[in-house]
Amino acid sequence: MANEVQPLNLHTKSWSVKIILAIFSILMLILVVGPLVWLAVHAFATEWKFPSYKPTGLTLEWFRKVFEVQALKEAMKSSFIISPIVVLVSAVICLPAAYASARYNYWGRRTFLIMMFSANAFPKIGLFATIATLYYFLNLMGTIVGVIIVQVLGTIIYMTWIPAAAFASVPKNLEEAARDAGASKFRVFRTITLRMAMPGILVAMVMSFIYAFDEAQGTFLVGAPNIYTMPTAMYAIVETYPIQVTAVFSILLTIPSVLLIGLARKHIIGGQLAEGFQIK
Amino acid sequence: MSTATTNQVAKESFGSKDSKLSVLGFFMALPPILVLGTFIGLPIGLAFFLSLGYTGGLNEVISIIGQDVRARDGKLFTLQAYQDVIKDPRFLGDLRTTLLVSLFATILVLFFSIGIGLIQRLRGGKLSSLLTALSLTPLFIPVVISAWALYTFYGGAGLYQTLLKSFGFDVPQITSTVVAIVIGSVWTSLPFAILMITSGFQSIPNALIEAAQDAGAGIVTIIRTVMLPLAFIPIVIVATFTSIGVMGSFTIPFFLGPNQPTMFGVEITNFFTAYNRPQQSIVMAFIVFLAASGIAVMYIWANFRSAKESGRV
Repeated sequence: MANEVQPLNLHTKSWSVKIILAIFSILMLILVVGPLVWLAVHAFATEWKFPSYKPTGLTLEWFRKVFEVQALKEAMKSSFIISPIVVLVSAVICLPAAYASARYNYWGRRTFLIMMFSANAFPKIGLFATIATLYYFLNLMGTIVGVIIVQVLGTIIYMTWIPAAAFASVPKNLEEAARDAGASKFRVFRTITLRMAMPGILVAMVMSFIYAFDEAQGTFLVGAPNIYTMPTAMYAIVETYPIQVTAVFSILLTIPSVLLIGLARKHIIGGQLAEGFQIK
Repeated sequence: MSTATTNQVAKESFGSKDSKLSVLGFFMALPPILVLGTFIGLPIGLAFFLSLGYTGGLNEVISIIGQDVRARDGKLFTLQAYQDVIKDPRFLGDLRTTLLVSLFATILVLFFSIGIGLIQRLRGGKLSSLLTALSLTPLFIPVVISAWALYTFYGGAGLYQTLLKSFGFDVPQITSTVVAIVIGSVWTSLPFAILMITSGFQSIPNALIEAAQDAGAGIVTIIRTVMLPLAFIPIVIVATFTSIGVMGSFTIPFFLGPNQPTMFGVEITNFFTAYNRPQQSIVMAFIVFLAASGIAVMYIWANFRSAKESGRV
């Protein structure tokens, strides 16, 4: 969707506009890339004295140090256990709904949609506080199940909306043709509908994984101090460890998102996400 | 994926009134709604009653664990918890900070996303690809990392201070001020805004813009009278979603903001965990909900409109 329309190629001849555009771009470059590079370089610095543009020396020592901290190892373990479970649970709950919303008309269709939008229209931290209140009664505070539920809540929108668009884009006459040729309903679903909707479903899974992996606010409120995932561990280590350790940990924490979004980049920037992102 | 086919298919299925109501479809669509109802709807309802002093039933455990819980004591309800919060000297400062940060962040996000969207739509080329890529970068970075990276960049020993010092300026640092919260909020909100706005501008046909050009309209007139009105719904979604998001954020103000006054996101978390005063925390949550309610209604309306236009309802 996003790449289909050609831009108009209105190029200005005015130098002042060109200069403003150039300055704007350089500013954006510094403001966006600057902080990330600045932090990343710290991961390899022996020491960094203000006001110097470069560290005193370079080292890989900090990468070893991070894996020596028990709390951080625990956090990495929890993150890599919890996030995949969240994606699976969310897929089981949401994918049938996505299919239904693309293929069936049913009672309460509009109400369901409005309820989904509404769940998204509350400022997040307030929601987490109310959820935590219920968690005390259900004995879910500080439990893995509690953290999983909080994270699943945030993924529902991706897991229904993006695959719904993908299912809807599978042409119905293709399915009907296969049925006419004698294929069973299930076979048509498996070999045609599901296969054609797969890119959309994968994008939804990638986005859900990243959401779960990065979610910090809700996880912190209901998980701490029993359960720390990688992002919530960051809250604690920035105050107690040298900046180099936090820089290394930041790099480790960013790798999965960059890898996954990199793999699904074409679909994400291309349209699957723009479609589904409407209600994030 | 082509939007055109999506729309067509969807319109065929749901546009006509005689399409049959499916029982199977209803039950397939039910699970996510039940989950949202149980873990968002129910807690909001319970918490609302807790804020009014209903300390029994499902609220019993939290009322025993929490400190300073105000019970209604046989009355219909009590507003004591609300009074506690509003009389607190921090309240007004927190409210002002929350609202101002949300307002400025939203204005800046709209400015950047509409600007970059227009450059991409009208000009195209390498420059616009660079700008789009840059503004989507925060999508790859966990919010905690973004916040921490911004803190080290603008903080006491960061590049920002280093640069200014080498040019001889000795300026006060901007971390631990509201300015830093605004910068961080713009940073985290920009990717969604860019995706939304660019896809809004993409849906305006070239022919429409060219026709206006042929009629002698200048570029500013075209932007003002053709492009912005046609992208109105996506712009409303971006504005409402950004302000709701910023109002409910914790990580950015926690890392980048001052200790006092701060945003409600930080205060709500502190009251819940550090001070163990859940009822006051809940009261603040409802004050934030109230402040956001008008925006939330607009957000729901705009999304519903957009879903309707693409034939999903």
